[in-house]
Parts: sequence; structure tokens; C-alpha cells
Amino acid sequence: MSRWIAVLFGWLVLCVSWQASAAVVVVTSTADLASIAKEVGGANVEVTSLALHTQDPHFVDAKPHLAMKLAKADLLVIIGLDLEVGWLPTLQTGSRNGKIQAGADGFLDCSEFVKILEVPAVKVDRSQGDVHPQGNPHYMLDPRQAARVTKGIADRLAKLDAAHADAYRKNALNFIRKLGKATKGWEAQLAKAKGQKVVAYHKSIVYFADWLGLDVVEYIEPRPGIPPNPHHVTHVIEVAKGAGVKSVLQEAYYPSKNSELIAKQTGATLVKIPGAPDFKGGKSYIQHIDGVVRQLAKIYP
Amino acid sequence: MPMQRRHSAFLFAVTLWAPVAFAQATPPSGTSDGAPSEAAEPDDAAPGDSEPAPAAAATEAKPPPRTETDDVFSELESSLSGPSSPARSEPTRAKPAGQRGAQSLNPDLAFIADFAAAWFSEREHAQTGGHDPTRTGMNLQALELNARSVVDPYLRFDANLVFAEDGVELEEAYATTLDLPLGLQARFGQLLTRFGRINSTHPHAWDFADQPFALGRIFGAEGNRGLGAEASWLVPLPWYTELVGTVLHADGEGSARSFYGSQELHVDSVTDLLYVTALKQFFELHENWSLLWGLSAAFGPNPNGPDNRTAVYATDLYLKYRPITRESTTQVTWQTEVMHRRRQIPDALLWDVSGYSQVFWRFARRFGAALRYEYGSPAYYASGVVARDPLDPEWTDTRQRMSAALSHWPSEFSRFRLQASRDAGGPTRGVWAAFLTAELVVGAHGAHTF
Repeated sequence: MSRWIAVLFGWLVLCVSWQASAAVVVVTSTADLASIAKEVGGANVEVTSLALHTQDPHFVDAKPHLAMKLAKADLLVIIGLDLEVGWLPTLQTGSRNGKIQAGADGFLDCSEFVKILEVPAVKVDRSQGDVHPQGNPHYMLDPRQAARVTKGIADRLAKLDAAHADAYRKNALNFIRKLGKATKGWEAQLAKAKGQKVVAYHKSIVYFADWLGLDVVEYIEPRPGIPPNPHHVTHVIEVAKGAGVKSVLQEAYYPSKNSELIAKQTGATLVKIPGAPDFKGGKSYIQHIDGVVRQLAKIYP
Repeated sequence: MPMQRRHSAFLFAVTLWAPVAFAQATPPSGTSDGAPSEAAEPDDAAPGDSEPAPAAAATEAKPPPRTETDDVFSELESSLSGPSSPARSEPTRAKPAGQRGAQSLNPDLAFIADFAAAWFSEREHAQTGGHDPTRTGMNLQALELNARSVVDPYLRFDANLVFAEDGVELEEAYATTLDLPLGLQARFGQLLTRFGRINSTHPHAWDFADQPFALGRIFGAEGNRGLGAEASWLVPLPWYTELVGTVLHADGEGSARSFYGSQELHVDSVTDLLYVTALKQFFELHENWSLLWGLSAAFGPNPNGPDNRTAVYATDLYLKYRPITRESTTQVTWQTEVMHRRRQIPDALLWDVSGYSQVFWRFARRFGAALRYEYGSPAYYASGVVARDPLDPEWTDTRQRMSAALSHWPSEFSRFRLQASRDAGGPTRGVWAAFLTAELVVGAHGAHTF
């Protein structure tokens, strides 16, 4: 009998420790948001990303254990603009956590802070592919948008955890200053890339191109989310040759066979952009963008 | 702009410009042509600090023109560097390049249409699913209208209306709680129970054009569903463990076949209801490997005699390999369910076993292949002698079905499938079948479960 009481007591302790945590528990949908959240939160937050940096954030499996992470979250930070619409709502509901449901203070859609591109001016439908009716959600490849997100996260953390509000703002300020210097440096490094014509796999490159002044002459996907067919690949090769394209850009999680073929046929260099920083491996957002810039700087020295 | 803000903006512009200008004046520390040093490890050091801008010499004489980058960062620094106040804590919203989508309080709606061209080698066959192709020729499997929305901060609502050739059916309409304490959640309304793995899913999520015959044999064409309520608990254990309990009316030919079935007997006490319980456990074996294991049971009355009851015990296993630590479109899943049914009839006990095991392989981004084996024993008496099943009197030997399917997704929103099967034993006398199906998804398609 006493053994059973001990087991029950131990389990209760486990339950309590599972629920209680001194730090603010932040869960992000993507690893780039996790990196930013950690920069802002520092030691006062525990940050987890639901998607790995190697995963396509459109198609993450709603694995039940991810709902467990959300069950413990004080703050859920998402990209928004329907990027996570195919998997995140299931996890939110399954988490049973009212704090992180849409509309609650613990739910932060970072698209509200950024300058959104490609907002359709006319009615859209699926004949245009897997379009996002509220605008392009791939803004985290533009450090200026990441800076805006940084402040948005800092403000929300300050609201949720007022005792550390000053620390969050200070961390955010320090990070934004560092990111600002880095961004100016990257822009200088890639000054010669401005106006250069490139080919990209998916419309995920739009913000990156906007930031650096790249001219995307064609996409390897004929329409967003529609895999390329041989006819379209031939068309892309013709366009790329005609435009003198020197680089083919794609996120590393997309199939690279067609991109490699196009790069080979046109003499361009394939640049594989990691989907996000390897947050679990300790990589920061600045290191992530720096890695991409270094790849491009070799092509446009 | 107020004068004070103008001053602070100017100060921050100078602050931002100064280190850049200083870095531009510093001799290059990287390669001689000013290109970034390839040997250097990327780190958090801002490139602006360590790597001079190549264009430095040309712009030494005058400050570079302000760019959008300057504006964005100086504005953010300005808003964060002052003393915190309620006004400052408000998030800075960037102006969107265009208008955001129109806000609407309407529920998200989606139509999912499933059509099939089918061929059966025999006119008499034993398709058991309500959405299965059932005749040689053209079939409307289902036109599903899915609507969903949050009700308020505490509840969300989901509904599935199915339009078929013979009418409209309310498949599901239920509310789900969003914020119960202690890891609890409730659903109530008309709902598919979470018995096993496939019961709670819709044809859109299936790897085959028809449902395993075990489900139809035990619960009926529509699977186990009904009006009722479900409570579930996310058990606070280190791995995902969910305990589910559901209570429903025990009648319905298409949904409670082994219970009251088509006989609408009254509920006189709590023992006249159908109870379903399930334990779901998930194990992330590796980032690329997932395992879901479930145990389920359903208990309720049957109409064979006074106080006669039925119990169904089941286990389900779902193993998934999907490489997510590298670029890959491959997915391989192995899904198995085994159901053991025990029914009381006057003066005897019947039992049988049904189940299926299937493998799905998405071998390319647009293509997937699947193979399924199904098994259904005859009903036995407790002694092991084959019994005459009051529900399926012709099912006197083992039924087995093999199916193979090839699926093609032109996009995320359409699917074509070619399926062939051989069904023998039980109520069938050897049937070949072939289906060519098309599925179309339009509207705001909801999130998938795992």
C-alpha cells in the first residue's frame, strides 16, 4: 500500500513539475522564429520550434507530441498568412491550451508586423496554384522584416511577463542593432547582385529578392505548389539563358533535381538556401542569413 | 512628425551611419579584393563590423543615401531604446504592400468531391463502406461539405455534410472545447468516435478508394458514430498519451451495426448506451520515424436478447517514415488494425476477428503506391465451432481481400487513383474489382491530423 502511495505521490510531483516552469514557454512554428524569440527572451524563456529547419513549413506532420509542446506553451509564435494552415490548427486544438488559441494573448501572428508582399489585388483561386490569399508568407528571409518581428515578439513577451519587460526590450534592441549592422554589411557585400536576374524554385524567395534587388525572371514551379513538368523546365532554361541568369535559388527542402539540371544547362550556380537556421544545433538567425549571403557573394563578388 | 521625434530619428540615423562609415574607412581585413572571407566561420559578428563594404572608397566623401533598411532599423531602435511606456509597448505594424484579405466571420468552407468509375466481376459483392464504389459504372462516392469555425474563446465547431446520390447526410457536427483545465477536452454533437485509427477519418485521408471491410462489418457503412459526447485527457506523461471516453446512442444500421443497429430501442438506463474508450500513444522514435499505437474498446447492448451485449476490442498501429532532416519527398507508412468482437446471443457467445494491414509508399512528390491485406474470420461460438452469424448469415468462412492502389496528385488539391482488388471468402464468392477515382478539393481545406 505504501508503495502505491509513493508511486502516486511521485506521479503528482511529476505532473506539477510538468505544468510549472519559471521561464516563459515559447513555441514557434518555424526555426527562424525560434531563433529570434530566443534572442529576445534570453534566459527568461524556453523556446521550441515545431518545424525543423530542414522541413517545408507548408507540410509539417501534425505529430501528436507537438501538441504536448503546445499544451505547455505560454506563447505560440507563428508566421501566419496561412503558411501553417495545413497542420497547426490541429495541434492548437489538440493542445487543449486556451492561452495559445487564436485571439488570446499567447498567440502571436508575426505577419501583423511586417510589410507584406504579393497581396492579391484581385480575386485568387487555385488555378494560380497554392496561393496565399493574404499575401506571401516567406518574409523571414528579409532581415528587415525579421527586425520588425523581433520588436513584435519583445512587445508580446513584455506584456506576458511584465517582470522582465525591460530585459526583453533591451535584448530586442541589442539584437536589432546587431542585425542592422549585419544587414548593412550584407547589402554592401551583395551590392553587385542588385538588379541581377535569377531563377527561383518557389515564391518563397520574393522577400529576399526584394531586399537585395534581385530580379526573379522565372520560377521553376510553374505555379506555387505545382511541381515542375519537363515542358516548364525547358521553358525556364530558355528564359534563364536569354536573361543571362547566374544563380538559381531554392530552399534546401525542395527537390533539387530540376534546379540542378537548370543550373547545369544554363551555367548558373545553384544556391540552396536553408529553410531556417538550425535552431536545435545552436545556429542563429544572423548566421543563417550570413550563410546565404556568403553563397551569393561568391557568384556576385 | 513632431519635432521631438524628428530629432530622435536624426540622432539614430547618425548613430546607425557612424559605424558603417567607420567600417568603410577601415582597410579590408578579408580578401584583397574586398570580397567576403570564405575561410572565416560565420558567426554572430555583424558583417558590417568585420567585413568592409566594397563600395567604401567611392562613398567616403559623403554619407550614403538613406535606404529602406536605414529607415526600418532606425525606427525600430528608436521605439525600443526610450523608456518603456504603454504607448511604446504597442507593436509597430508595417504598412502592408497591399490590402489584407477581407475579414469575415463566416466559417471556413471546403467541398471535397470523390467520384469513381468502377468495375466488379460479379454483380453480388460485399463492399461495406458507405462511400465505397458499389456498382459497375459511375459512382458518386461523396460530395463532402466541410465547415469549421471557432464559436467563441472556449469552443470550436466542425461539421461535415455529405451529399450522395440518395440524399444528404449529416456525417458530423460537433463542438470541441479549447480551454478545459488539466489537459481535458470534450467534444459533443454528432461525431465519429476515435475508435481505432481509420474510423474517425474521412475518405480524403485514406490510402484506398474504399474503407476496410472490418469497419463496415462491425459498425456499419458509416463507421462508428452517433449523437453523443466525448471526453479526452492528455495524460501528463513524458510521451504522448491520450485517454478517450465516448458515450453515444447505440442505434443506427450504418453506425452501430453490432449494437442496436437499425432497431431503435429506447434508452431506459445508462446500460442502453454505447460506450467507446481508447488509449492513444505516440512515440517519436526518431525525427524521421513516428509510431502511433492505440487500444480501443466499444461496449453496448445488442438486440439479440434481453441484456445481451456486444464488446469490440481493437488495437491499431501506425508507423511512419518521412525523412524531414533532409530534402525528400518520400513517405512510407504501415498501418494495421485488428478488431476482436464478442457478442452475446441467447444462451451463447459469438466471437470473430477482423482486421487489415496496409503499406503506403509515396515514392515521388506526385505519386504513391499502396498495398492492403484484409482478413475477416467467420463468427465462432466460444467452443471454436463456426456459428451462423445473425448479422452476416452467409459469412461462414474466412474472408480475405487484397488491394493495390496507385495514386497521383497533380497538385495538393486533386488526386486520381487506380485501384484493383480481389475479394474472396465470407459473404463473397470471389470478386475482382477495379476503380478509377478522382478527388477534388476546393475552398479552405482544413488541417490534417497525423
